[in-house]
Amino acid sequence: MLRSLTARAIVPVAVAVTGFVIVCCILLYSVMKSDMINDAVSYEVNLADTIIKSTRYAMLKSDRETVSNIIDNIGSQDGIEHVRIFNKKGLIMFSQQHDEINRYVDKKTAGCIGCHAGTVPNATIRDMERARRFVNKRGTEVIAITAPIYNEPACYTASCHFHNSGQKILGTLDIGLSAAPLLKTLSVMRGRMMVFSIMVLILSVGGVAALLRRHVFVPLREIKAFTAKVNRGNLSPELSGISGELTDLAGDVRAMASRLRNAVEELEKLRGCREEAKEKAGVNANSV
Amino acid sequence: MAVPPPGRTEITLAMKNQATHSPQPEDAERPPAQKGAQESMEKIRRLKAKASRGLFALALFIAVSIGAVQNFEFLPTFSPHIRAVLGTPPSANMISAALMLYSFSAIILILSRMMSGSGSYSGFSHVGYLTAFFAFYHFSGALDENFWAVFAAGITVLGLESYHIWTFCTEEIKKEQENLAAPARNRGSGEGAGE
Repeated sequence: MLRSLTARAIVPVAVAVTGFVIVCCILLYSVMKSDMINDAVSYEVNLADTIIKSTRYAMLKSDRETVSNIIDNIGSQDGIEHVRIFNKKGLIMFSQQHDEINRYVDKKTAGCIGCHAGTVPNATIRDMERARRFVNKRGTEVIAITAPIYNEPACYTASCHFHNSGQKILGTLDIGLSAAPLLKTLSVMRGRMMVFSIMVLILSVGGVAALLRRHVFVPLREIKAFTAKVNRGNLSPELSGISGELTDLAGDVRAMASRLRNAVEELEKLRGCREEAKEKAGVNANSV
Repeated sequence: MAVPPPGRTEITLAMKNQATHSPQPEDAERPPAQKGAQESMEKIRRLKAKASRGLFALALFIAVSIGAVQNFEFLPTFSPHIRAVLGTPPSANMISAALMLYSFSAIILILSRMMSGSGSYSGFSHVGYLTAFFAFYHFSGALDENFWAVFAAGITVLGLESYHIWTFCTEEIKKEQENLAAPARNRGSGEGAGE
C-alpha cells in the first residue's frame, strides 16, 4: 500500500487539502445559515413592529373590524403562514385563520415558553429568543416571532378602555413566515459551495500532481530507465531533457555511464592488444 | 495499515533466542552480534506497537463522535448552578473560528513533521482538543449544525497523523530488518569468498 513515490507524495497533500476545504465549507455554511436566519428574524421583528404600529390607532379607538381587516390583508400575502393577536390570557382575538379566534393558545409551546417558563412571565426578551422554528400542520417549515403589545399612557388614559396603568403587556402579536425561500436559498448556496470545493480540490491536488509528475516523477523514471539499460549492458543509451534539481543527478549518472563505457572500451582495447601480442608471439614461435 | 512482516530466518532465530534466554547474567556472555539482533527485534516490536497508535486514536475519536451525535445524552446534565458557575459559553462563531485555526495549524504541524522525518506522535492530544470542541459546541447549543465540521477536522488531522506515524514506523522497521539481515548477508558473502 502506497509504495510508489507518486502515492506517497500526493496522498498527504490530497488528504490535507480535502479535509481543510471540507471543514471550512461546513463552518462557512453554518455561519452563513445562522446569519440568514438572524436576518429573517430581524425582518420579522420589523414586520411585527409595523403591524403593531398600523393597528395602534384602530386599537385605541377599539375598532375591531379595522384591526381584523388589517390582519386578514397581511395574512393573505405570500409567504405569511399565520398572523394572530392574543390577549394577556392567551385568548386569540384576531387571526387570519378565523376558525382559531376565541381559542386559547398553549403557553407551553415553543413561542410562549420563553416568557412563561417561570411563575411570573418575563416581560422583556431579546429578539432571537422570541423567534421559533417549527413545522406547521400543512407541513411547511415556519420561522415565527412573538411581539408583545405594551401598555402605553394613551391606552390606559383612553375613555373607552379598561386597562389600568399597572398592566405592562396588553397582548401579543404572533406572526409566522414560511422558511421555504430561505431553505431554497440555503440549498442553492450549499450546491454552489460543493461545486466550488470540488473545483478547488481538483485544481490544487491536480496542480500538485501535475507539477510533481512534470518535474520529479518523469525525470526520475527516465533516470531509472537509463540506469536499468546500463545495468543490462547497454552502455550508450540517451539521457536528455532533464531539468530542475534532478539535472545534477542525471549528469552524475550520465558521467558514471560514460566512465564505465570508457573503462569497457579500454578493457576491450587491452584485450585486443593482448590477443594481438599472443598472435604475434605464436607467429614468431612458428617461424623459429 | 499493517506493517510488513519480518519474514527472515535471522529474525525468527533471534526471536527464539529472545524467548528462551533468561535475563542479565547470560546477556554478558552473549556475543555482541546476537545482542544487537535482540535490540533490533525489540525496536521492531516497539515500532509495530507505535504504528497502531494512529488506529487507536481514530477509534477513540469515532467513539467520542458517536457520543456527540447523540448530544451526549448518556452523560448527566449539569445543574443550573454549575452552568451559572461555568458562565456564558462562547458564541458558535468564535468556536468555529477557533476550529478553523486549529485544523489549519494542526495540518501544517503534521506536514512539517512529515517533511522533517520526525517520529513524534500527538494523535491522543488531538482527540482531546476535538472532544473539547464538541463540548464547547454542545454547551453553546450549536452542536447539531457544527458536528460534521468537527468530525471532518478530526478525521483529517487524525488520518494524517496515522498516515505519518505508519509510514515512519514502516520505514524504521525496514531499516531494522536490513540491519538484522546484514550480518547474515556478510557471513554468506564471506563464506562464498572463502570457497
